[in-house]
Amino acid sequence: MNEFLQFAAVVVGIFISFAMYTTLYGKPNPLRDWAEFSYLGAATGVSIVISLTYIYNTAILGIQAGDWILIFSIIFGLMMLFRMHPDYSHVSRLPLAFTVGTGLALSLRTQIFTSFIIQINATIVKLWTGVPLEFLYRLTIAISVITILTFFLYTMELSGPLLWTSKVGEYLMYIGFGGIFAQTFMGRLGLFVGYMESVTTPSWKVPYTLASAVICFIAAIIFDRTGLGQKLSAA
Amino acid sequence: MAKEGGIYRLMATYDKRWVYVVLFIVVLGPLINPIGMPIGISALTKNYYAQLNTLQEGDIVFDTWNMEFSGYMELKPGVLATHKMFIEKGVKLCIAFGHYEGVALPGEIFKQLQTWLDRYDYREGEDYIIIGYVFPNEAAVAALAQDFHANVRVDWKGNSIEGTFLDDIQNAGDFDMISDYTTGLATTYMINHMVLQYGVPMVENSIGVSVPGHLANLDAGLLTALLASTRGGAELEYLIGSPGPGLKSMDAFTLGHYSLMIFIIVGNIGHYGWTRRTGAKDRTGIK
Repeated sequence: MNEFLQFAAVVVGIFISFAMYTTLYGKPNPLRDWAEFSYLGAATGVSIVISLTYIYNTAILGIQAGDWILIFSIIFGLMMLFRMHPDYSHVSRLPLAFTVGTGLALSLRTQIFTSFIIQINATIVKLWTGVPLEFLYRLTIAISVITILTFFLYTMELSGPLLWTSKVGEYLMYIGFGGIFAQTFMGRLGLFVGYMESVTTPSWKVPYTLASAVICFIAAIIFDRTGLGQKLSAA
Repeated sequence: MAKEGGIYRLMATYDKRWVYVVLFIVVLGPLINPIGMPIGISALTKNYYAQLNTLQEGDIVFDTWNMEFSGYMELKPGVLATHKMFIEKGVKLCIAFGHYEGVALPGEIFKQLQTWLDRYDYREGEDYIIIGYVFPNEAAVAALAQDFHANVRVDWKGNSIEGTFLDDIQNAGDFDMISDYTTGLATTYMINHMVLQYGVPMVENSIGVSVPGHLANLDAGLLTALLASTRGGAELEYLIGSPGPGLKSMDAFTLGHYSLMIFIIVGNIGHYGWTRRTGAKDRTGIK
């Protein structure tokens, strides 16, 4: 029984994924809506359970262990629920303000180092370390930083050498954008390849994968051609 | 279909859904029938491997799964290969999730590591403890870093963590290493409050989209090693001599990249050929 349930979960999972992929066909269809709403429902359910477990493990167990200050966390959390009632939504402002304030304080205290000072320190380094390739890397970073920074000088008209360095900076940015796009494509393809690998391994999944892909593809075409997609879709 | 502009117009304005069809075929084909194209090992992965090799038996690693189920699909090779190294070395793992979908991951990951768990008699509670979803926001990460036991009293199944190897952990500084697998959830918070504050070495297995950002952190010394996407995972599989999903995926990756290059070249030739022939000034060839 347990094995059958696991098998059924895998097969239904594969079919739902391909139903979701029918969005690539570019036309509304109920199959995609079904898959999307199934995911949303399941994800919401899981998130509620996990969040409640987190509150229990962190706050309730903490209070039981004598950490009474956590009572305020519970009260603040409950005050947040007043957002749902239009007449009393102002009650939620206090915990919200507290959350934003602590978040900002925590973030500012560290971000200034990790995103700013330490990053600048890492850029201002000795160029020559005795390794020619390392020299090339460091020189590239130094030239890129300086020229790109001149591109972002807004308070004066760029002319002479500054105009040239800003132009060089602009083209270096284009190269950088290209690199980031390639990395992004690799990442997105990685998601897809990883998923396809999981639905083709072990090999008994392959027929179900191919069947799901073909069924969903044909269904998307039929829904489009017959006009049923528009009619039955929730969008 | 081609009309004015001939083949060039067709090359510039073909239905974009063909891109999806081609990608589906070039990815699925090699996964069903692997070709076995060669891969090289990058300096990043060699460094990651070297950093993991600095760990000794009994060291405690904060193993943070900052990924959703979708991100896991991309990071799977790196996750599995890294954990094989941890199990082989006898490293103790404190596993935490940064996303509620994390609860679905242990079953999936440890099922794939079953052979290794059995071979090295690696057990939950003794060698690894899953503390579950503990990173809802930055405040939670900061609090946990400062006082571990005030924030974590039970594991994800509700069992007390008292009397386990986690008794040795008072704050984030007591971990020997942080091993993070990320789609970008609580990772920045961990760098801010654990690495910066306590100086714990942190190794990162990141999805491809986030790699450029993490390279800057690696350069700045905030990360000690970086494993880039599925590609990095495949390289690590090669280095530890245990082929898995990463190496199997590399053919699909290579062909996928080739097809994108071809689409870019075809689209550009079509666009320039079409606009030159027709004298059109319109720069948007794609319909």
